[in-house]
Amino acid sequence: MAAAGSFDLVVIGSGPGGYVGAIRAAQLGMKVALIEKAQHLGGTCLNWGCIPTKALLESAKTYDKLKHLEELGFNAGNPTYDWARIMGRKEGIVDSQRKGLRFLMKKNKIEVFEGHGRLAGPGKVSVTGADGKATTIETKKVLLATGSRVRPLPFAKFNGKSIISSDDILSITEVPKTLAVIGGGVVGTEFASLFGRFGTQVTIIEAAPQILPTEDEEAVGELVKHLKKQNITFEVGAKVSAITDNGGKSASVTLEGGKPREFEKVLVSIGREAVTNDIGLELVGVKTDRTFVVVDKHYKTNVDWIYAIGDIIATPALAHTASAEAIHAVEALAGKNPNVINYDANPGAIYCYPEIASIGMTEQACKAKKVEYKVGKFPFAPMAKAKIENATEGFIKIIFEPKYREILGVHIIGAKATELIAEFALGKVLETTVDEIGQTIHPHPTISETVMEAAHAALGHAIHM
Amino acid sequence: MANQIEILMPLMGEGINEATLVKWLKKPGDKVSKSEPLLEVSTDKVDTEIPAPADGVLAATLAKEGEVVQINTVIGHIIGHITSDGSVPVAASSSAPAKTAAAAASTSSAASKAPAKNPAPQRPNPVVVNRASMASGTTPVVPASDVRSSPLVRKMARDLNINLGFVPGSGLHGRITKADLDAFVANGGHQQQAQAGGAGQVVYVQQPMDALAKSSRVQTSIVDGVEMMEGNPVRREKMTKMRRLIAEHMVESVRVSPHVTTVFEVDLHNVYEIREKHRAAFEKREGFKLTYTPFFIHAAVQAIKQHPIINVSLDGDDILWKQDINVGCAVALGNGLIVPVIKKAQDLNLTGVAHRLNDLVSRARSKKLMPEDVQGGTFSITNPGGFGSLTSNPIINQPQVAILGIGAVVKRPVVIKDAITIRPMMMISLTFDHRVIDGEGGASYLATLKKILEHYHEEPV
Repeated sequence: MAAAGSFDLVVIGSGPGGYVGAIRAAQLGMKVALIEKAQHLGGTCLNWGCIPTKALLESAKTYDKLKHLEELGFNAGNPTYDWARIMGRKEGIVDSQRKGLRFLMKKNKIEVFEGHGRLAGPGKVSVTGADGKATTIETKKVLLATGSRVRPLPFAKFNGKSIISSDDILSITEVPKTLAVIGGGVVGTEFASLFGRFGTQVTIIEAAPQILPTEDEEAVGELVKHLKKQNITFEVGAKVSAITDNGGKSASVTLEGGKPREFEKVLVSIGREAVTNDIGLELVGVKTDRTFVVVDKHYKTNVDWIYAIGDIIATPALAHTASAEAIHAVEALAGKNPNVINYDANPGAIYCYPEIASIGMTEQACKAKKVEYKVGKFPFAPMAKAKIENATEGFIKIIFEPKYREILGVHIIGAKATELIAEFALGKVLETTVDEIGQTIHPHPTISETVMEAAHAALGHAIHM
Repeated sequence: MANQIEILMPLMGEGINEATLVKWLKKPGDKVSKSEPLLEVSTDKVDTEIPAPADGVLAATLAKEGEVVQINTVIGHIIGHITSDGSVPVAASSSAPAKTAAAAASTSSAASKAPAKNPAPQRPNPVVVNRASMASGTTPVVPASDVRSSPLVRKMARDLNINLGFVPGSGLHGRITKADLDAFVANGGHQQQAQAGGAGQVVYVQQPMDALAKSSRVQTSIVDGVEMMEGNPVRREKMTKMRRLIAEHMVESVRVSPHVTTVFEVDLHNVYEIREKHRAAFEKREGFKLTYTPFFIHAAVQAIKQHPIINVSLDGDDILWKQDINVGCAVALGNGLIVPVIKKAQDLNLTGVAHRLNDLVSRARSKKLMPEDVQGGTFSITNPGGFGSLTSNPIINQPQVAILGIGAVVKRPVVIKDAITIRPMMMISLTFDHRVIDGEGGASYLATLKKILEHYHEEPV
């Protein structure tokens, strides 16, 4: 146990990496401090990421459903929405989770410091409060979990009005009539699908030949068909040469070789950058590679009392990945021997409509790496429960190795994709093959039966086709 | 790729610890083919020729002519060839002559086929776990049945012929992951390669069967054109090849394994009832009779799952634990017998066993068995009860370590809950190799089998 005023572990950053690591450390009997410079605990995930965006996307989904109530036998007329209340609900959910986090910190006797945390020399971390006053705390170990921030275009800084980030758009007071989304990654695609369904004319501008370039081409192809029905148009393989603000009221986007086009809002979602500047890395000599902190397989940096996880290391920048890494790092620094994380079994989830969820290799990656593979695919359309839920879009695609039928990758597009992928995540961890998935009895009638059918399809004997 | 194979002075008989190397019949550098006479040896009981253990080139002779050599001493090396299917020809061990009569008759060596059927292209050497590739010792770290692994790993291990008991697991609670298995294969393959240029693979020279024939000669004389033995006329007839192989195999088995037999009595009431209930419908549906034998095989396999020691082989002082339960079923052929094998019987239900048995027995009787049908047995069942025998003391089918004898099903008065009841009763006997199974092991296997049969509940589907 550390002496009073000093700690066994100081965690810098309270996102899903930091706070989870802090709790795990407390469970292991450590005296833990958690430093957060933002107003609330929870990091990007809770305050500007996963939670508020999914709350809004749920409203978009509900609005969409309301518009199709006739199909379910209701005379609902023309549904209308109140954006302020939708935003209010989102805030309510976020606020409730923030309170939950405060409670968890108290319950686990984690001391929370508000301010900017910096490494300040061997065994020392300084915290600079909003008032500019710095306190230094002592610790045996440090877990860096400072996360990432939105990345601006070098030629078009955010102005918070017409040229906005994914942080800004979460406090937008009105649904814009037109929206340009620069960057068709996960963030951009989700916001496009959100506002498109509320009636905004959305244009996604993506430099790569497809949006969501790291996702399976076939799944993305299917998604694009549906997004086109949500007031979204696409400019792929397109490069933005200029964005000019029109007095905060709108902004004009010029594509290379094109004319300026005016949009009420321009969302720049070209990615995020690791928060590794101004946290004292240089002072104690923590090694970095570009903006990432360099760590070993147990997330230890080259400085043996400093660990780093989450968006500041070169692993997938996902909340659940950060949490898993934090638990691993804390167990390792506590002297346990946790299993090395298998990133092939790290699922991804995208909450546009239909959802896309994936794990492991894409078909194009198999081809590029010359990995021998086969595909088993099954659509949701013939499944009774999909019809009952009025959610027949999409399919489950299993990419597997032909000899032992090891699951190499799974790509799901559909209404429940992000829930269904969990079965395959377990399957990957347990090294389950397609055979066992096919042999697993799935409840009837459910959407999850499609998982079993996709496995049957992989083995060449789908039942409901 | 060449593979260096050791030539060992073979075990020449019980109680014989050394032999004189009379003459090398080949010089270093000579090509030798498997089973071709390689050297002459002499003991106080027999003089005999020893055949080459493998195809290849005689690389070195380490013992000189006239030298007295302890058995199992390395007396030379052969650089073996890789056959076209990628396997290294390997002679069967004399401590475990791995052939059923018919397998030997087919002249294809089970041992040379087994290791490498479809080697994965990226893995040059499927690992045959022998004493040399056991990184962590000569016995499995964990019995195969207790190993934590995954469906993927189990499939790969089966395919690569790896006993997972030897593979260190790095996953949760020691679970073996694909990466662990890949690493094991990589290391094992590496070791095997190193071995090929170093100590060599341990291979026992098969004992020449002529020794058997020579040692059992009797005196006869020809009187007026009639051959006489001890004053009585005899007619001399050459054994058929099958008969001869059976004879050799039986003698060898008794020599190698100390046989012990234990006998239990089983109340077949449940099995009897289930069979009676289904026999007519079964025959109509499946086109053949539902005999008792599939019940016994099915039950015997379930019992082996609880007593994996019944399903091992010995290789020197190593125990080889087998994942699959391949049950050899002795089929009488009038002038001999053959033991076709129900492969992976652990994956079959009662009806599956019945089908496989029916197929093998009918093909055995019509002489349509293929060599692979009689190879790879891990346990045998013989059913002299069909001829009315009450109990039996069969000989172990090497390199297995146990054989189940089934007696006749006979209705008898038995005492159940202090009342005399008529029940179909049957004796079952287990003859086992006392080198590896003790009395308790044999009896507890039969006790389990008795329990399974007496509580039998699986119905034919």
